[in-house]
Amino acid sequence: MFKKILIANRGEIALRIIRACKELGVATVAVYSEADTESLHVRFADEVVKIGPGPSAQSYLNIPQIISAAEITNAEAIHPGYGFLAENPQFAEICESCNIKFIGPSSDMIANLGDKAFAKEKMKQAGMPTIPGSQGIIKDIQEAELLAEKVGYPVILKATAGGGGRGMRIVREKEELAKAFNTASSEAEVAFNNPDLYMEKYFEQPRHIEVQVLGDQYGNVIALGERECSIQRKHQKLIEESPSPAVSERIRKKMIDAAVKGAKKSNYESAGTIEFLLDEDGKFYFMEMNTRIQVEHPVTEVVFSMDLLKLQIRLAAGDKLDSVIKGYKLRGHAIECRINAEDPAKNFRPSPGKIEIFHIPGGPGVRVDTHAYDQYVIPPFYDSLIAKVITFGMNREEAIIRMQRALEEFVIEGIKTTIPFHQKVLKDKDFIDGNFNTKFLEHKANLF
Amino acid sequence: MKPKEIKKLIELVEDSNINQLEVSRWGKKVRIMKTPDNPGMSSSSSEVMTVATPQPAPQPAPAPTMPAPTQVEAKPAAESLPTNIAEINSPMVGTFYRSPAPDADPYVQVGDIVTPGQVLCIIEAMKLMNEIESEEKGRIVEILIDNTQPVEYNQALFKIEKL
Repeated sequence: MFKKILIANRGEIALRIIRACKELGVATVAVYSEADTESLHVRFADEVVKIGPGPSAQSYLNIPQIISAAEITNAEAIHPGYGFLAENPQFAEICESCNIKFIGPSSDMIANLGDKAFAKEKMKQAGMPTIPGSQGIIKDIQEAELLAEKVGYPVILKATAGGGGRGMRIVREKEELAKAFNTASSEAEVAFNNPDLYMEKYFEQPRHIEVQVLGDQYGNVIALGERECSIQRKHQKLIEESPSPAVSERIRKKMIDAAVKGAKKSNYESAGTIEFLLDEDGKFYFMEMNTRIQVEHPVTEVVFSMDLLKLQIRLAAGDKLDSVIKGYKLRGHAIECRINAEDPAKNFRPSPGKIEIFHIPGGPGVRVDTHAYDQYVIPPFYDSLIAKVITFGMNREEAIIRMQRALEEFVIEGIKTTIPFHQKVLKDKDFIDGNFNTKFLEHKANLF
Repeated sequence: MKPKEIKKLIELVEDSNINQLEVSRWGKKVRIMKTPDNPGMSSSSSEVMTVATPQPAPQPAPAPTMPAPTQVEAKPAAESLPTNIAEINSPMVGTFYRSPAPDADPYVQVGDIVTPGQVLCIIEAMKLMNEIESEEKGRIVEILIDNTQPVEYNQALFKIEKL
């Protein structure tokens, strides 16, 4: 086991990592920016090193400063958390060359699995269903038409150099294809200097289901159930739960087998998540793999009674999977609400500032992961996540009722938060019935 | 809640010793607070009474009291410097060296006059030796860090009397 770990992150995840380290008897080093001087992760770590001014580029993304901090404190390993440098292959490589253990997969694995085309190909080879579509660029409209017939409408044309929703066209009928092809192509040419398009099957109302995997350094991999993450706003997850109300035992088994096979084929090491799209017919397709611990890890922890951070650290220290996990069974149901410092009444505008009153909920089945506290000033430089509320119940109904109670008890004053928004969603009939997909918030925008 | 009811609640608070009153009904809340006569004094006992739907009075969470973690270097208590004295701070995390090589003479000593661009010390980071230069003309008044001591971002290295 490591003697000392440096946490290359901030906020609630830095605190989470420190907690795991404390329980493992590992000394902790927190790095922080000037804006985070009063942050809780700085208070709770054994040693602290200031690494730069507020802006992330000069602090939490500043690789030389972070490596330097590890060197002067003699940290043996670095935990990158999520976001920031967690999926940066250069950072992982530099750690490797400085003989500091990067708690995550190897830099090669991060680079490879971060390449969407490569990951899709790898998973396909492992027998995982992938989203049907073109193999690379579509030459012309004729090829597009043939492919669309094969894949089945609706399809989506996407700019290969693109992003941000531009150079994309959904095509629902054969008659629309030629026009869509030309428009998407010209838009791509203008926006990205590259007119090339590829095609994928388009899912109208998919659900986003992801599977948590853990791998040791000896080729062993397990999957710890799935998480339902379809409640999203602008592709940001807001509410997650485990297990998914949409996934039957049969589909679950298939997804888990596929995930384990895919991860094993990549020789995956450490904690990771495989994201799937579940369509209305119960078919699932590989979307992408995230090679880090995720924000919503607590819902898996709660239903499996496990500590994923401690496991991740143990696996990084060289422990074998079957020595750290003796047996596991999913029990009950967990839901997580991400509380952001945003004003839902003003289009979720960020609301940094001082928290005047902070009272977290408690009682049975309620867990709150937060770095905020009474009188804490939220700095403006980072993301707006201030707390995660996780509730556990013997079934989904109880987990929902508990979340309703917990959100009522959660008092945050001085800033605006998304608590009122979550309260509305938790009372929505479709949500309670488990009847929702990734378009849920879009369709109900006016209600929330 | 009707305006008449709210008015009645306000009168209730005004005529009593109550400082804060929070009422909650059908999911709607009203909180009425008495402005203290003496804004400088904080009331030692503010009673929060709840009516209709009993709710626990929200208590501010106690600020966590933890032993202060070991700073890489204990920061000297904030002192106001005389206006002609400035601090030279480290722009990076690393190890402080006073000389270019282990057996060489230090770059500067206390009392030395330095000019802009003159190298004062080395901060080693990731096996690279970074020369730290003075930005001002002045006299070295104090050297705050020991040789081979680790330093963090913005940590004060020297006190210099501006000339």
